[in-house]
Amino acid sequence: MRRVAAVAHNTFRESVRERVLYNLLFFAVIMTVSGLLLGELSIRQDAKIIKDLGLAAMDLFGTLIALFVGVGLVSKEIERRSLHPLLAKPVSRDEFLVGKFAGLGFTLLVNVGLMTAGLYATLLALRRGADPALLKAVFAIYLALLVTVALALLLSIVTSTAVASVSTLCLVIAGRYSDVILNLGDVVPGMPAWALRAFMILIPNFRNFDLKDRVVYGDPVSFGDLGWITAYAAAYTGTVITLAVIAFRRRELT
Amino acid sequence: MLPVTEAAPALDIRGLSKSYRIGHLRGKRRPALRDLTLRVPRGAVFGCLGPNGSGKSTTLKLLLGLIFPDSGDAVILGHPMGARAARQSLGYLPENPYFYDYLTPREYLDYAGRLFGLSPGARRDRARELLDLVGITPAADVQMRRFSKGMLQRLGLAQALVNRPELVFLDEPMSGLDPLGRRSVREIILKLKAEGSTVFFSTHILPDAETLCDEVAVLRGGSVVAKGRLDQILTLDVSHMEVLVSGLAPPDVSGLAPGVETFRSMGERLVLHVPEKQLGGVVVAVEQRGGRVLSVQPVRQSLEDFFVAEMGQPAKGEAWTAGA
Repeated sequence: MRRVAAVAHNTFRESVRERVLYNLLFFAVIMTVSGLLLGELSIRQDAKIIKDLGLAAMDLFGTLIALFVGVGLVSKEIERRSLHPLLAKPVSRDEFLVGKFAGLGFTLLVNVGLMTAGLYATLLALRRGADPALLKAVFAIYLALLVTVALALLLSIVTSTAVASVSTLCLVIAGRYSDVILNLGDVVPGMPAWALRAFMILIPNFRNFDLKDRVVYGDPVSFGDLGWITAYAAAYTGTVITLAVIAFRRRELT
Repeated sequence: MLPVTEAAPALDIRGLSKSYRIGHLRGKRRPALRDLTLRVPRGAVFGCLGPNGSGKSTTLKLLLGLIFPDSGDAVILGHPMGARAARQSLGYLPENPYFYDYLTPREYLDYAGRLFGLSPGARRDRARELLDLVGITPAADVQMRRFSKGMLQRLGLAQALVNRPELVFLDEPMSGLDPLGRRSVREIILKLKAEGSTVFFSTHILPDAETLCDEVAVLRGGSVVAKGRLDQILTLDVSHMEVLVSGLAPPDVSGLAPGVETFRSMGERLVLHVPEKQLGGVVVAVEQRGGRVLSVQPVRQSLEDFFVAEMGQPAKGEAWTAGA
């Protein structure tokens, strides 16, 4: 555990020093500008738009980081051979990989946490009240980011960096439109039902994590709902990380 | 799996072989290491020599578990190859090391120390000690993105020693170093030996091996072509004498004495190659012809001579370096 923490700490430090968190500046700009521009609208409208914008920006920036930083998380170390002297030390490949995942997971937590604080600060500055339900949508966004990191990590180990980036992006997009897959049977009549089911299981259903509209428009999100998506994220991420660990154990580091 | 015994040598390699797949075609493989068998006693400085592409780095990567053998096995410090217990007592300097640009040497050494489970105080003290040892204390808090190759090499050596290893693997440790840096590394290797550590290093710079190694293995094309103590491999007897003379022209040499084998000009001086037994006669003959003997140098076989004699010219894709 100590070694996993050491790798995770270094991964977080890398994110900070390589300016990954600079995306917070863009977020701050979006929040400030939207706050200034929307001041003219009615109270109910501007609060919704700010919440919508804030959550969407959080989702977008987080996904970009999870995808592109996630793909380079281990593959960059393999390409540059910076992990050779580390793996000669008493840290196992499993610990290294889990540490890298945990490090980026923590970076995203800090990122999402600061954005959430920014969103609440904007709402409070406009005297629109701090809606605690927003935290449910933020939590779901964070779970989706962890799933994305796990996918990026696995694909970067079994393919090249470029292929991993493109394929992770495709999976993220496909997962956000998973309802389309369900209807593929209608679009492609010959498509067997088992193939559709297999698609639905393999492709992460990111729609499960999209609570933005429900929260913004005041639809209730129960703790049962949150528990279900947490279990789904844990199962999916756990499976993908396990596959990544198996692939990484077999990977030759020339 | 080889039997593990308490009295095991530092390194016991049995029949290690490795090949790499060529391109994406299955079945086509290029052998990189063939049936390597070596024993390195504890406390020795062992040189793994060979041209680029001879299998030296492949050997180290196999021993560290970075790549996997096709066949064969090894026991490191009494533990199976790749075991965590073995890595706890190992140090490794990779060839052309790359470390994290965003870290300073002090931070990197701290990170390395954490992976060995050292306490914060021990990590701080060890980092200070090692930075001093490799001579980069003034740059201890500078991010490594500003480092030269030589400075990275020095840090690479420092991180390999964080845990006071019993066995140190150094892959081309002199690479990228200036003459002072090379001398410093030589001194560190000798210091490690004096402290009882075993050093296994790969190099294609022969004088380094000649200066430092108790034993060597010579690789070519992935196979061992010679191994053992230097005095077993090299002819340490004097092969001939080099006599530096002045006051003679090249034509004067012919008939000088039956022992003179050859000569070369060095400005107005000549270097004569003389069998040891004929030395006295040659000196007298030179003086009789108005010449003067300036120096007499006994010549022994060097590792470089050995390689040239044993292997001839480098094969395609190989490169020897006699010094650098």
